[in-house]
Amino acid sequence: MSDTLHKMSMDEFRRQREEVLASWPTGKDVDFQEAVDYHKSLPDSKVFSKKLEMARKEKITLIQPRAGVPLIDKHIELMQFLEKEGHADLLPTTIDSYTRHNLYHDCEKGIQESIAQGKDMLNGFPAVNHGVANCRRVTESVSVPMQIRHGTPDARLLTEIAYAGGFTSYEGGGISYNVPYAKDRTIDETIRYWKYTDRLTGLYEEAGVQIDREPYGPLTGTLVPPCISHAVAVMEALLAAEQGVKHISVGYGQCGNLYQDIGAIYALEEVTREYLDRFGFTDVSISTVFHQWMGGFPQDEAQAFAVISWGAATAVLAGATKVIVKSPHEAFGIPTKEANAAGLRATKQLANMLSCQTMHNGPRAMAEKHMILAETRAILDKTLELGGNDFEKAAVAAFAAGVIDVPFSPSKYNRGAVLPARDNEGAIRFLSFGNLPFNDDIKGTHIAKLEERAKFEKRPASFQMVIDDVYAISEGKLVGRPKKQ
Amino acid sequence: MKTLVLGVIGADVHAVGNKILEHAFTEAGYKVVNLGVMVSQDEFIKAAIETNADAIMVSSLYGQGELDCQGMREKCIEAGIGDIPLFCGGNLVVGKHDFAETEKIFKDMGFNYVYAPGTMPDVTIADLRKELGE
Repeated sequence: MSDTLHKMSMDEFRRQREEVLASWPTGKDVDFQEAVDYHKSLPDSKVFSKKLEMARKEKITLIQPRAGVPLIDKHIELMQFLEKEGHADLLPTTIDSYTRHNLYHDCEKGIQESIAQGKDMLNGFPAVNHGVANCRRVTESVSVPMQIRHGTPDARLLTEIAYAGGFTSYEGGGISYNVPYAKDRTIDETIRYWKYTDRLTGLYEEAGVQIDREPYGPLTGTLVPPCISHAVAVMEALLAAEQGVKHISVGYGQCGNLYQDIGAIYALEEVTREYLDRFGFTDVSISTVFHQWMGGFPQDEAQAFAVISWGAATAVLAGATKVIVKSPHEAFGIPTKEANAAGLRATKQLANMLSCQTMHNGPRAMAEKHMILAETRAILDKTLELGGNDFEKAAVAAFAAGVIDVPFSPSKYNRGAVLPARDNEGAIRFLSFGNLPFNDDIKGTHIAKLEERAKFEKRPASFQMVIDDVYAISEGKLVGRPKKQ
Repeated sequence: MKTLVLGVIGADVHAVGNKILEHAFTEAGYKVVNLGVMVSQDEFIKAAIETNADAIMVSSLYGQGELDCQGMREKCIEAGIGDIPLFCGGNLVVGKHDFAETEKIFKDMGFNYVYAPGTMPDVTIADLRKELGE
């Protein structure tokens, strides 16, 4: 069984742990056994995976915002506001960008300037600088489970502090927090860092503490075709399960075409189960996460609410376990707490209205599902072949060969030869396949769909089409039609 | 051909707009030295000196632009390119603010052109033509 072959040894874990906890003064406050006891004292209602399990059983879609500010008291106020005024079922703590790059000295400056200037100078909560006791103040201030959301290539210390601080879910992975979030970190390096995070999660599980792990679905958030993000999600699920992770949430960023989005969520759950089972990880639970549109938003708040609501409706009709919610301030960046709660309330309205409806039997959604499954399997099978079932080796080799290739990535270890574009009905297809291991059948479908659009728009399928698609939703459309001259 | 140094400052990894700006400025006839994402002030300035650039184009999408841009003009002066035009745009500060306020903060820091969220490349290209002549 592969899970005994590549699990990090306790010697290696202890060696890294000593170094990790010593890398910033707050690390010394982490005590694994004390943290396990603390988690065991928490009620089920604070445990992320248990709430997700309840939602799966009851077939409802939970709602969760993104949110984080630099100062502790203001962060607590924000969390309580989103619980009370936004009716959030799950709460996040979004980490600032300096922490994401382990720049804790810069965080300190950001905290001090936020105090001095009376405004937020960091774009999130610097959890490492604040330390374990302050994290517990945050997680104890609300009655719902909390998750750390970030974008950190080397998140080892943050994971230690987050878990000891009472967070019961943790986003990220060695691929999904590298390729969209770093410029010159090798895939190999970040997979090794995340092996530590996953092993630590496994150790908590072995001690009887449930922690949900969520690979980051949307990747670059910009026209990512479902099969690419699904392949990454499955690879990270395998890497996590191998280290003893038992509760996995796989995510996907809304594309905007209803049939493709519904098909994508069904395909995501099915393909993750298929590959976990294939390697013997049958006891790992799977939840699905639907991210409302991750690309550019309209500046007008009424239009932004329309985008939010369309994502909310799609998430519920697709049967996602939870939906990650945007705010009407998205075009400007980080929202006020009021704007954030407004996005949540709009989403909750649709979650409640549509919970009795489903579209999983619709023939068009199912056609999309089968197409996505075939594409994802093609990528995964080639990937695993390259690594001889060694998941780490496979993932590294797949990126080097362009077998996995994420559009619009800043990383130089991502080939960047794939180009997506919308078809005439707004579904995301491939304009350039790069080195994706697709057969002629799969390629033919994409080519035909884009030819249909090109003909309709009386222009060739080109990079200009891609640019028009990138801006389309912020300009009030789904498909980036040519500008009238 | 005029040369532009382009990049996303600080610990910011937003790559999409950067790729589109590179494309748009190149199409507009500029030589674009694109440093990509996560570029420090020193890297911008070093590249500007090495390529004898005519302007530095700074993007920031993640809200921490104010911290990242502090002292950039002074660094240009120290490096002997004190007169180089500095352009910046994106979501420069945390949250939705009156843009006039943000513009003033960045102009006070020595940026010549400051752009609001959602500005399209053709607006900046028109300013470049004005600033650099041609």
